[in-house]
Amino acid sequence: MAAISPQSTFEGDVFSAPLVHTDSNLLTCMEPDYKPFIPANSLRRMTRVLKIGLTTALQSIRDSGVEAIGPIVTGTGKGSLQDTEKFIREIEQYKETALNPTPFIQSTYNSVNGLIALQVKGTAYNNTFVHRGFSFENALLDSMMLLAEGAPNTLTGAFEEMTAEHFYIKSRIGFWKPAATDSRQLYEQLSPGSIAGEGATFFVLTGKPGPDTKAALTGFKMLYKPTAEKVAAGLSVFKDGVDLILTGRNGDSRYEHFYQQADALFPGIPQLPFKHLSGEHDTAGAFGMWLAAQLLHRQQVPAQWFPMLKDIPAAANRILLYNHFYGEQHTMMVLERV
Amino acid sequence: MAERVFITGMGMITAIGDNVAENLEQLRQQRSGLGYTSYIDTIYKQVLPVAEVKHPNDALAALAGITPREGYTRTTLLGLTAMREALRQAGITDVQTAPTGFINASTVGGMCDTEKVYFDIVDSSKEGAFLQYIDTLDCADCTQRIADTVGFSEHIATISTACSSSANALMFGARMIKQGFLPRAVCGGTEALTRFTLNGFNSLKNVDKQFCRPFDQQRTGLNLGEGAAYLVLESESFARANNSRILAEFTGYCNANEAFHPTSPSPEGDGAYESMKAALAMSGRTLKDVDYINVHGTATLNNDVSEGKALERLFGNDVPLFSSTKPFTGHTLAAAGAIEAIYAVLAIQQGLIFPNLNFTEKMEELNITPVTALMEGVSVNNVISNSFGFGGNNASLVISKYEG
Repeated sequence: MAAISPQSTFEGDVFSAPLVHTDSNLLTCMEPDYKPFIPANSLRRMTRVLKIGLTTALQSIRDSGVEAIGPIVTGTGKGSLQDTEKFIREIEQYKETALNPTPFIQSTYNSVNGLIALQVKGTAYNNTFVHRGFSFENALLDSMMLLAEGAPNTLTGAFEEMTAEHFYIKSRIGFWKPAATDSRQLYEQLSPGSIAGEGATFFVLTGKPGPDTKAALTGFKMLYKPTAEKVAAGLSVFKDGVDLILTGRNGDSRYEHFYQQADALFPGIPQLPFKHLSGEHDTAGAFGMWLAAQLLHRQQVPAQWFPMLKDIPAAANRILLYNHFYGEQHTMMVLERV
Repeated sequence: MAERVFITGMGMITAIGDNVAENLEQLRQQRSGLGYTSYIDTIYKQVLPVAEVKHPNDALAALAGITPREGYTRTTLLGLTAMREALRQAGITDVQTAPTGFINASTVGGMCDTEKVYFDIVDSSKEGAFLQYIDTLDCADCTQRIADTVGFSEHIATISTACSSSANALMFGARMIKQGFLPRAVCGGTEALTRFTLNGFNSLKNVDKQFCRPFDQQRTGLNLGEGAAYLVLESESFARANNSRILAEFTGYCNANEAFHPTSPSPEGDGAYESMKAALAMSGRTLKDVDYINVHGTATLNNDVSEGKALERLFGNDVPLFSSTKPFTGHTLAAAGAIEAIYAVLAIQQGLIFPNLNFTEKMEELNITPVTALMEGVSVNNVISNSFGFGGNNASLVISKYEG
């Protein structure tokens, strides 16, 4: 697996990296050197989300030790915003004439999947889900079905970018906190809105554990616009043996009650929040899953990433990840140590 | 053994009709939906033909059974219209009576409406009702508005793999049913014409200024279209217990990637060959069992050579009857796979082979030619429906006559 995120998660000993924080209400990706991954002539044409998506996918394959990649399945809420914005603007600017097709091609939601397939010669199944907080999760469900159908492995991931223009657009409908917020104090500053983020996360999934396996996904549930009772019932299913809860709480007072319900259902079980690391975005759940798998695999918690916690939880064996995207798409996952 | 998957309801709206019956009638009459746009603000209004649904948004809202309101884009209204018919035809008055998934497909979401107000949205000095369109830009917006209007809550997803999007939605729904996640799923796609996509394909020099001519030597490109289509899929056990009216069986499918080029298919049609071959193998049918192929047939220079080569490679000298229905509906991108899946069911039910309009001259690269006039009274038992897209995304579906 691999992640490009606002934190230093891409390479090296990621758990010893310092916490990256901001008071700009936007956590931007730390971009790696792409040259070892993408030929220079391709790199020149590619926009940011294509680069982070493709590079993370390639790094996760390297990390997995898997030789031949099977199906490629991804999720993205917004695809390449930079290309979409550019093409809208150029249509206006050049009055619909003599347009460069590259931003149009790259704005297509499955363009990252196409690039990955091209680079790894992946001729198997290939799919892209584009459903806000269910984008990555549907990709994950699809991957689990593919493994059940006999696929040897899947490359499964998510990618999202935030542009200045889109940050402004979403601020107009209350996505972000109006006041500058220190990301380290995200959970104390309960008010409408959260802080924005972006990132790419990829996993190589197999049906059976191997020598390089990091964690096992043993429980999974998606709930669309559920009532509080449905969330509680959903969480209760996964109650047994959970020794750590990873929550997607994001300081948004409008939807905090869902997370408070989890607090009440699991008294005494330690929690870690992750949105101060990733920021909020459509596929932040993929970052949550990456973090859960890292915690299980390394059997430690990077204390410097959680300055807001008095007690740092001990290593975990069974993690429940609960996340939702602005109260609409709720997801629950159980990850276990292998 | 995994459950069989049946088609028990269909609904659609395209440039040739507001429902399945009207589409069938226009196909029979060999009447194209191509013309010029009334609703897109473009300099190509009288230049580039499109297959537009002939209703303004207010009238579409009435067809969709809602009062016109802000935030309901043309994409949503087209989708809702097709959805209502699909549910009605399947006899579903309340989708909550059984766990029912909704797998939708879209390539540009609500771009049709957001592109009209985008520069107001990014202008901090402007305020107004247009702000309600901000969240309609993504692909999930139409899915959720359709889901919330008719009451889906069990499983929802939106797929975007360019021109094969709704073929993949049908596949995903069928696989969820086979694996026992759901007894029933409504799958398809919705697509509205936009200045964005029209200029996108035009910048790729892929749009014909004449009405498109699939598989013709003189073809120069596609014409875009708009529309929506949904099919109700049910597991065999659910359909029997529910006493559902079975329209056809969804017997095979394959999604394969070419890994050849970001926008162009391989000259020998490797992806098309693989996806047809694997879909047919899954259906348990042989090459000889295929009575009709509704080809992707966009009429772009590359697609038709590549797809034609794949047909010749797979079927040798016995390529089945085939035609592209794109000259009727235009290329409806994310909706195309589901629209053409419904045409496949109609071909089986009615014993028809639809003509490939605007064909006059055989392509020099191929030995085969499409069906050019309506054929009636044909025994059609198995149909392959192809949808190929950007990013090398190829999908083939096999739809078969229901024989108990």
